[in-house]
Amino acid sequence: MSQPFLQMRNIRKRFGAVEALKGVTLEAHAGEALALIGANGAGKSTLMNVLGGVYAPDEGDILLGGQTARLHSPLEAERSGIAFVHQEMAMLPTMSVADNLFISHFPTQMGRIKRTEVLDACRAALQRLGCTFDPRVRVGDLSPGDQQMVEIARAIMTDPKIIIFDEPTSSLTSREKQRLFDVIGALKRAGTVIIYISHFLDEAFALCERAVVLRNGETVGGGMMGDLTYARVVELMIGAQNASADREQQTRQPGAVALQVEGLRREGVLRDLRFSLHKGEVVGLWGLLGSGRSELLRSLVGLDPIDGGMLRIAVNGELRALPPGEARRWMGIVTENRRDDGLLLPMPVKTNMSIANLPELIGRIYPFVDGRREASVSQTYVERLKIKIADLRQPVRTLSGGNQQKVIVGRWLQKAPLVYLMDEPTRGLDVGAKAEIRAIISELAEAGAALLVVSSDIDEIMSISDRYLVLNRGRLVAEFPRGASKNELMAAAAGVGT
Amino acid sequence: MNSPQSSSSSASNPLANVLSRESLFRLLPLVIVLIAALAVGSRSENFLTQQNMINVLLQSASLALMAMGMTVVLITGGIDLSIPSLMAFSGILGAMVLRDGGDPLVAGLVMLATGAAVGFINGFAVAYLRMIPFVVTLSMLAILSGAAVSVTNARSIGLEPGSPFISGVSAPVLGIPLPILIMFAVMLVLEVLLRSSLFGRWLFAVGTNLRAALVAGVPSRRVIALAYVASGLLAGAAAVVTTALQGAAGPTFGREGVVLDVVSSAVLGGVSIYGGVGGAINAVVGAILITLITNSMNLLNVSYFLTLVIKGIVIIAVVALTTQRKG
Repeated sequence: MSQPFLQMRNIRKRFGAVEALKGVTLEAHAGEALALIGANGAGKSTLMNVLGGVYAPDEGDILLGGQTARLHSPLEAERSGIAFVHQEMAMLPTMSVADNLFISHFPTQMGRIKRTEVLDACRAALQRLGCTFDPRVRVGDLSPGDQQMVEIARAIMTDPKIIIFDEPTSSLTSREKQRLFDVIGALKRAGTVIIYISHFLDEAFALCERAVVLRNGETVGGGMMGDLTYARVVELMIGAQNASADREQQTRQPGAVALQVEGLRREGVLRDLRFSLHKGEVVGLWGLLGSGRSELLRSLVGLDPIDGGMLRIAVNGELRALPPGEARRWMGIVTENRRDDGLLLPMPVKTNMSIANLPELIGRIYPFVDGRREASVSQTYVERLKIKIADLRQPVRTLSGGNQQKVIVGRWLQKAPLVYLMDEPTRGLDVGAKAEIRAIISELAEAGAALLVVSSDIDEIMSISDRYLVLNRGRLVAEFPRGASKNELMAAAAGVGT
Repeated sequence: MNSPQSSSSSASNPLANVLSRESLFRLLPLVIVLIAALAVGSRSENFLTQQNMINVLLQSASLALMAMGMTVVLITGGIDLSIPSLMAFSGILGAMVLRDGGDPLVAGLVMLATGAAVGFINGFAVAYLRMIPFVVTLSMLAILSGAAVSVTNARSIGLEPGSPFISGVSAPVLGIPLPILIMFAVMLVLEVLLRSSLFGRWLFAVGTNLRAALVAGVPSRRVIALAYVASGLLAGAAAVVTTALQGAAGPTFGREGVVLDVVSSAVLGGVSIYGGVGGAINAVVGAILITLITNSMNLLNVSYFLTLVIKGIVIIAVVALTTQRKG
């Protein structure tokens, strides 16, 4: 076996109190694809950002072709022959393909861009990828797959020795995916090092020669793909001793159907989803990043458009068919990012808590918001959820993350919906606040509400759920009872066996 | 390297700080302008007389009504540049009704209805067609200015001296001219609407964070559309007052200086151009301040054009002072 072209040795990186990388070691050979595997938050992206010059490591060495490399900025990384195809496309949609490919280094003559030279170079690069579109078209007019190709074209223009692909297939159709795999095959034959990050194990097994598995910022295993099995990789991802999670509470007895979803679909995002939620149960929605978890929650309340499907919701004990925009009267949603689309940050706690329930707070005779009732109702939920505030008029941005999250929960409690949708309700909270939010979720279910909860933390979702729905690329691929094992959930989400 | 860093928590009650600093910032421009206006005014003997004060309020009335409309739209995070030309255009339509012997009440209603109708078009375009407020209302400004000139052949339409429309709108009540009372009455009603009606509360939510408002179930589009209707309606009210006070309506009533005055009034009064902050009282205070500046300049014989320069500088200075820079 030849000397590995890329060696990352004992890489450490710390963000504040969090140690994202705890001494990771990785090797990759020329002409091979290396699968970088790990659950959300395992440190894959951080590691690749270190390689791409975005983050400087606190400790550790990077060797390229046996020589220590200095990668202190993305530009230095690019000069050292490292190219990064990002998951989120970072392109200028209103500009042409050629502009996007050359934006940082247009060849010029006396300040004038050498147009023909640019177009010829673009055509050559696109041809290598098997693309037939003209470099003068606007990037925004291309399909997601072709846009991805432009991104890849930009990466290979510099003839890099290492190309990092971060979840490149998440927006591709199966035909586009095949084209991408062909391109990667060609790059490998040309001697390029490929580092392939994907949640989808089937892709990793089909495409890569070698794998490295990360967990909690550490290298926990790897080796030649031929020596590994799906089961072994999943076990490495989640840790063997961790395979059964602790339960925090007793089994609940679910009641009647609260919400029935029939054939909900949205082109390229959600595929014909059918499921129901019962009163008094917490359903864990499990799936990897990009599987459509958040999109599903948002579609259920009409925040994202849908292409078809119907909801039936139990209004006075009777299932009524309603479009999401109307069904949302009986639903409350806690979104993934409370600062972005949850809270009115500069506004008082009281305003934030009453905003969803204002029509109920209008006086009967006096047609305005009854300030006293608004305050007393809000105060009730501040006490019930033990929200720590000095004053109801305090701007909500001055609260801690846990208290902010409780304000949002309190907002919906006021409205007393039938169904709660919660997207990563404990994200960014400390351990104590996480436990409090989980306790509130249990209480809500015990009080008869139906809850659909998304969490990227498998231990958390296993500690709260009565039942699991598993999403993979917009499709419901499995449903498990409470007793499901971690391996079952992980394997279903990663697309194993489907 | 491996020693655990203490994560410095910034949770030490910053409430008091924030409140005091923000309220200071909000008051600062008011204080500065008031001092400046008084300093300038005190050089003139006429400035502090009761009659001049009444005059300042009377001159403020139309501007204050327009500034209140602007405020409603600014709270949503939008802007309505069509207000002055809408005021001029509505006034012209009403004056034409009067010229053709129409009833003064009908003329007033025509002005209000024109304002509300145009406001609805603006609101529909912004809220439902999702067009950018700046573009929609700037185009509307051009349309209405052009229409005003075409309809009148660039001449103003004078009302007959002693017209019941003039005496009806500008008559003094208890010694105070009616337009001043209209200004304060509208201010009170609008302030209450903004603070405690469903519409008002939703308006602030939409302007503070549109995405969060949508998630919370606020009917955001309807609220935004309604804001422009309110703005148009208030432009119509300004047309009623202006037409009566001037005894005429004409295409020049909405010229470029007025839009600057309207925006300056709102901003000087403490309405945020970024949305989510403001009120009717802010707009009225701002309009009175702007009128004071204009008034002082007149007393000091400063030309109209130099006055524009000074006002422009004042508004930039106030926005610079009140903009919270990050990092």
